[in-house]
Amino acid sequence: MTAHFAIVKRLLASNQISFIITVLVVLCATSSGDVVLSNGNFTWLLAALTPFFFVFYDFTKFMHLGASKKDYYFGCLISYGILAFCISLVNAVIHQWMDPAYSAQTVINLMDVCQWTENGMIVAGLQQMFFLLLGMVFLHVLLSMQTHWYGWLTDAVLVAILCIFTPIAPLRAILIGFFQIIMFNSNAVLHILICLLLSAALSFGGLVVLKRKTL
Amino acid sequence: MIELKQVTKQYGKTTVLKNITLSIDEPGIYCLLGRNGAGKTTLLKSIAGYQNITNGTIQVDGKTITTSTLNTGVSYIENFAKHFNLPVRKLLRIASEVNSNYDFDFALEMMERFELDGKKKYHHLSLGMKTMVSTIICLASNKEVILLDEPVLGFDAITRVEFYDMLTESFQKHPRIIIVSTHIIEEITKTIQKLIIMDKGSICFFDTLQSVETKAFCISGLQKEVAAATQNRNIIGQDTVGGLVTSYIFDTPPEQTASLDIHPLSLQEFFIQMVGHKGGAKR
Repeated sequence: MTAHFAIVKRLLASNQISFIITVLVVLCATSSGDVVLSNGNFTWLLAALTPFFFVFYDFTKFMHLGASKKDYYFGCLISYGILAFCISLVNAVIHQWMDPAYSAQTVINLMDVCQWTENGMIVAGLQQMFFLLLGMVFLHVLLSMQTHWYGWLTDAVLVAILCIFTPIAPLRAILIGFFQIIMFNSNAVLHILICLLLSAALSFGGLVVLKRKTL
Repeated sequence: MIELKQVTKQYGKTTVLKNITLSIDEPGIYCLLGRNGAGKTTLLKSIAGYQNITNGTIQVDGKTITTSTLNTGVSYIENFAKHFNLPVRKLLRIASEVNSNYDFDFALEMMERFELDGKKKYHHLSLGMKTMVSTIICLASNKEVILLDEPVLGFDAITRVEFYDMLTESFQKHPRIIIVSTHIIEEITKTIQKLIIMDKGSICFFDTLQSVETKAFCISGLQKEVAAATQNRNIIGQDTVGGLVTSYIFDTPPEQTASLDIHPLSLQEFFIQMVGHKGGAKR
């Protein structure tokens, strides 16, 4: 447990660039008109940037410090959990107390767009947290594969799915259905369960990828 | 215990390790010698589980080692190892936090002995100091197998002597298998117990240093007399200058005669004879 805690501490500490970029964007982003974007949306940037640092910057360094691959991976998953909670909390706080201060008629926050706020702010925050966790684990696994041929194959398959499924109506319906389940879902229990299930499956996949990772 | 069975490693069409079978049973400091490109780093990385081999098996303490082995029990450090750009002392502390067996006191003692500034950030250190930090982290890890890949790179003569002392002290404190790959041969002889020589992806020698001292000889004299003296002996190399012949043997030495000049080979001379090539052909 000490090793996990030490790795989490170091992972978060070495993620300063992601924190700074996110804070700058959240603070500096402006929009005008009757419909404006909530600055809280930009907190999601931290979830998108973090896996890049964990995968490409931290892994080798932890291995050279004598950490085991298992501890590194659990450290990453715990860090994603902590970050997902923090991002969700900050976005919820912004949406609850800062967005109403806008003079604009409509302030768009992704929590509204995804229909999570229909369940109240606390549940919406939880839904957002588990969705962000899923997003970060997905990115971590995808990035970890990039040094192998199957990483490039996965990229190609994902792009192909988007390109083929989008223009063909029946396939598009499947794609929309998928995103409605994992993202635009007002059924909190179903949404959280699906996100947790997919995160667990991806985490398991990530472990398989990690086992093949060379130095 | 390290056991390699018919280990082969290929990069594309190039075979870097050729059917290596090796068993290291006893704790000790082993020196891995070989020319550039002999396959030393590939061998060490494979034992550490940093990369997979193409064929064969590697076991450490009965555990099969591949990249899938999440906890190998092997600590490997290479040149130019990447570390967080943190003060040295903090780096050593983090290493102790991520590895429960880590000997933090030993690491601090070594940091002070090598006059490493604990407050100086890793990227601000010289090459030799960086290597020293990596080596301290590796030795203090207290894992059962320690692999040091050219640890004295960038060290000055005094630091090298200090390093060999540190290696001996670390081993005496915690006897385990320590394999050191190096090109500075003569200096390490006082520290090591066994010698592994690699050539073109194969192990061509694995024995004690004592066996080199008692069996490696150079015999010079007239061709006929040298040929007679070295008959039925294991000749590892030969040089001819005019009518004079020098034969290098790894065997019991012949009896000294007035016409023969027999003297023991230094470790460096022995190594050169074992792997010496001119224009791609063995001498």
